[in-house]
Amino acid sequence: MSQPRTRPIQKLAAAVAKCNTEAAAYGRCVIEDYNDVHRDKCAKAFMALKNCVVVASKKK
Amino acid sequence: MAPAHARHLLPARLSQRRFLATASNPNAPPTFQVFNRAVKRLQRDRAAANKEASRNVDYLKDEVADRLVERILLINRPLPRVLDLGAGACHIARSLTKPRPDEPAPVASRISHLICTDMSPALLHRDADAPWNTELSIERIVADEESPLPFAESSLDAVVSSLSMQWINDLPGALSQVRHLLKPDAPFVAAMVGGDTLFELRTSLQLAESERLGGVSPRVSPLADVRDVGGLLQTAGFTLLTVDVDDIVVGYPDVFALMADLGAMGEGNAVLGRKEGPVGRDVLVAAQAIYRELHGNEDGTLPATFRIIYMIGWKASENQPKPLPRGSGQISMKDILEGSTTPSPGGEGGKK
Repeated sequence: MSQPRTRPIQKLAAAVAKCNTEAAAYGRCVIEDYNDVHRDKCAKAFMALKNCVVVASKKK
Repeated sequence: MAPAHARHLLPARLSQRRFLATASNPNAPPTFQVFNRAVKRLQRDRAAANKEASRNVDYLKDEVADRLVERILLINRPLPRVLDLGAGACHIARSLTKPRPDEPAPVASRISHLICTDMSPALLHRDADAPWNTELSIERIVADEESPLPFAESSLDAVVSSLSMQWINDLPGALSQVRHLLKPDAPFVAAMVGGDTLFELRTSLQLAESERLGGVSPRVSPLADVRDVGGLLQTAGFTLLTVDVDDIVVGYPDVFALMADLGAMGEGNAVLGRKEGPVGRDVLVAAQAIYRELHGNEDGTLPATFRIIYMIGWKASENQPKPLPRGSGQISMKDILEGSTTPSPGGEGGKK
């Protein structure tokens, strides 16, 4: 039961690990002023990160 | 696995409202309920069902059990009947059977009979066949430490507990039950996670959820602080209290590994009113990026802090040492601290 459930998350982790540049850009954007975080504050940076993750997870 | 996050915004608020209704339900126990004990039991059962994965994440519980056993060994008297409350897979028992070169006799021999209780039968019996079980007299009883325990009053020589009490709703009630079960002048020695435990995860998830979803939901339990613990023990009637804190920082490759390990430990989120279901993918990816940027180590790993609060309290007894009355001191601390070279003659040693 738990075997098939953990695998997608490992795949996601591996995909995210390939997008360090985008992740760092998004992370910096959010913590730049973390007392004023609101919805979609960093939507653009996140979409870039997400696109990279989607591409990376399709490669394999 | 990957729910559309927008759809989940409303249910999160609704479930919080349900939580408030539960608290005022006349059939509910009178204490304020924070944790869902049934969910916690399920999580522990499920975690223990995969023995391999569950044993792989014993590192934290074994380490804390070792440190707790060191404190138990400071109690220099035989302990015929000891209760391990919320034992999990009996990590304390296992630690007692480990060889300790600086101890003259096997330390397990100091405890004649150890009773382990946990509300999860699967976790409690996970290691029942392991070889170390033969080295001490151990008994496993499935019992929820929030309900009355099947022991007589004043029947235990010590109660110990490791990394379980952070899930008890009614800590004052549980602690006073422990005091009832102890014999007079018997100790309660426990460790629980508290304070700023997992603050890195907590802050990263909060920032990720604020930015992605526009709101936060309780992902990491509220935890007792060091100063609360002293007060709780005192309220429950323990004397001669000792409370100390120890930070264990574990490095993880990423937030996914951290959360997977917490789940395998059976330590997943069980806060009432939490958003049901796993954290959405978008939030996870966002949290991972924020975690690394905000807290990440130079070598790329992510630190996770576990703040462990250790406590020792004793059941009051007639022949226990008690503090002297106020104002009865004969020696001035001022003289000693200012370095007056002649300590006042005699008597000091007997003052304790």
